[in-house]
Amino acid sequence: MENQKNELLARYKCRQMILTLLPLAALIVLFAVLCITVQSKGYRLDMYLKIIFNESVVLAVVATGATFIYTLGSFDISLGASTLFSAACGVMAYNATGSMAVMLLVLFAVAVGCSLASSVLASVFGVPVFVTTVAMMSVLSAVSAQIITTNGGALGGISIPSEVVKPFDVIWFKVLVLAVFVAVCIFLFDFTRVGRRQKFLGGNPVCAKLTGINLNKYAIIAFVMAGIGVGIGAFLTLVYTPSVTTGTASSIGMNIIVAIVFGGMPISGGPRSRIYAALVGGFSYIMLNNILKILIDTNAGYGISQVVSAVFFLAVVYLTGLNYRSQLLPR
Amino acid sequence: MNQSKTMSFSKRLIGTLAIPALAAIVLLLLCAVGGKAMIGNRTSFNFFVLYTAIVMLTTMALSINLNSGRFDFSLGAIAVLASVMSSRLTFAVLGGGAGSAVMMLALNILFGALLGLCSGGLYVLLRIPPIITSLGVTLIYEGITFTVTEGKYVMDEVRNASMSAFSGNWYWPLLVIVAVLALIVFLFDHTKFGYDYNALKNGQKVAVNTGVREVPNALICYGICGALMGVVGFLNAARSTSINGGSLNFGSISIMFTAFLPMFIGGYIGRYSNEKLGYLLAAVCMSMLNSTFAAFSNEINASTQSIINAVLLVVFLIYLSNEYKLHALRKPIRK
Repeated sequence: MENQKNELLARYKCRQMILTLLPLAALIVLFAVLCITVQSKGYRLDMYLKIIFNESVVLAVVATGATFIYTLGSFDISLGASTLFSAACGVMAYNATGSMAVMLLVLFAVAVGCSLASSVLASVFGVPVFVTTVAMMSVLSAVSAQIITTNGGALGGISIPSEVVKPFDVIWFKVLVLAVFVAVCIFLFDFTRVGRRQKFLGGNPVCAKLTGINLNKYAIIAFVMAGIGVGIGAFLTLVYTPSVTTGTASSIGMNIIVAIVFGGMPISGGPRSRIYAALVGGFSYIMLNNILKILIDTNAGYGISQVVSAVFFLAVVYLTGLNYRSQLLPR
Repeated sequence: MNQSKTMSFSKRLIGTLAIPALAAIVLLLLCAVGGKAMIGNRTSFNFFVLYTAIVMLTTMALSINLNSGRFDFSLGAIAVLASVMSSRLTFAVLGGGAGSAVMMLALNILFGALLGLCSGGLYVLLRIPPIITSLGVTLIYEGITFTVTEGKYVMDEVRNASMSAFSGNWYWPLLVIVAVLALIVFLFDHTKFGYDYNALKNGQKVAVNTGVREVPNALICYGICGALMGVVGFLNAARSTSINGGSLNFGSISIMFTAFLPMFIGGYIGRYSNEKLGYLLAAVCMSMLNSTFAAFSNEINASTQSIINAVLLVVFLIYLSNEYKLHALRKPIRK
């Protein structure tokens, strides 16, 4: 009897381990497929890797910060608009002062400010977080569009001189920024009570509240972390492309959700939340999209590649969530 | 027990009409001060009714699943894909001739319901959270639309006399409003499906344990939402005389963002009468606001309109979330 129990437990743990490692395995497989696809088409692998890295690093940074919000079981779809708004304000600040320091200051202040505004509306006034972020998204997109069209034009956008950010447009710098931010987030999330309490709040908010944990305090911390991620993301966006148009970072808000889920984290948050999920998921999703774009090289191919990546996304989510099926339909 | 049934008739009437009346007074005053007419001519009135229909149907489609804890991002993608397929098929059969609008509307409802059912089917089959399923479904439907249209606008198929006659006569959209409202009230308030839906909405576990079949109920909900969005797709095509086939990467979800404010307003009005009637009245409010924006189009640009809409949403939600505090202030505790 005892042996059977142990065997079952070992089998369960093994299955859990496989499911935990599945997103990472998917990333490795995708990387291998990308290398083979690019080589077989006769394209330059180094160029593709650079493009994918530059696209992924922004998504990974913003999604890593957003993980704190999603861990609480909350939701923020305004982060893409927030990135756009921060970048636009950063450009305006640089053009007004000619100072890189002022640009960075404005960029981070705006990003954290927007995030804090969402959290204050949600925690102080009790407005549902999701609806708050929908409203924030509308406001930030509209204000950004106003700034960009007034000062530059919808298509051309506003820009800073490329030589200002050129020294930062190197892989090692971006890797360093990503590594430092992820390390700080991992430390906060896995080795301090902030992370532990946030997971508790996400898993069982009623129980957490009854044990004296202040939801508002941890929600504000989560939104500040997301704001810092947005600030870094906006800076890296400017480093890669020193001009900001109304379409800049437009898909980030939704891609964050896809990236987090792709990386194996449940959208409901709680104790199964992982910081590395955003990192793994962000790179996997961008890599998958680029592989499909290379394979289906027509205008209509963009549509087909989106369908294939969506099917792949659903398959990964289905497999990683196999152990958590309930009899009732999930909500 | 329905709270509204315990209220007096006058209180229910005042509660039901307060927001639409207030909105009408404020907006008409603004128009009067600015020297504009909210609805200046027959064309404006046609668009007013058409927009009311679009907002009401989108709000209903959003709220059916959202009230049950199922957030569905795919509503916009369903509307676009259903209208692309039906417009192509209608054009292939009738070549833009007489009866095109009726055929396209019927096909839109059919394709919308099928797409909604596919979305719901995937949800019950995979048993992953509906928000995630809807993300995947949105990407799939947008991808199919983009592939079918090659990312271009669909225009020739929806620019014909039949479609113009529909959008150019206010009584057609009004007929849609009346028919949909009657059908939805009947389905959700007077059938077994509706009773089961309400039971599941208010207590999923208890309802399932007492024998309510959740899967068929969820599938029907998705089917209805899809059909409603099919009609929205048709109305949007009639209104703008084109369908944007180039939305990728969640570009289609903006269609449903217009429905958030009317959904909350409708829910508030529903306390005093019927929630579905509330959605209609809220849609009328949104349409009045839209007509006012149109009247002031030289002074208020699209960005400012978005900001005003968002601010109204937040202010209304702040009120809803803190309403009990205001009541407490008005009624001091008796010793």
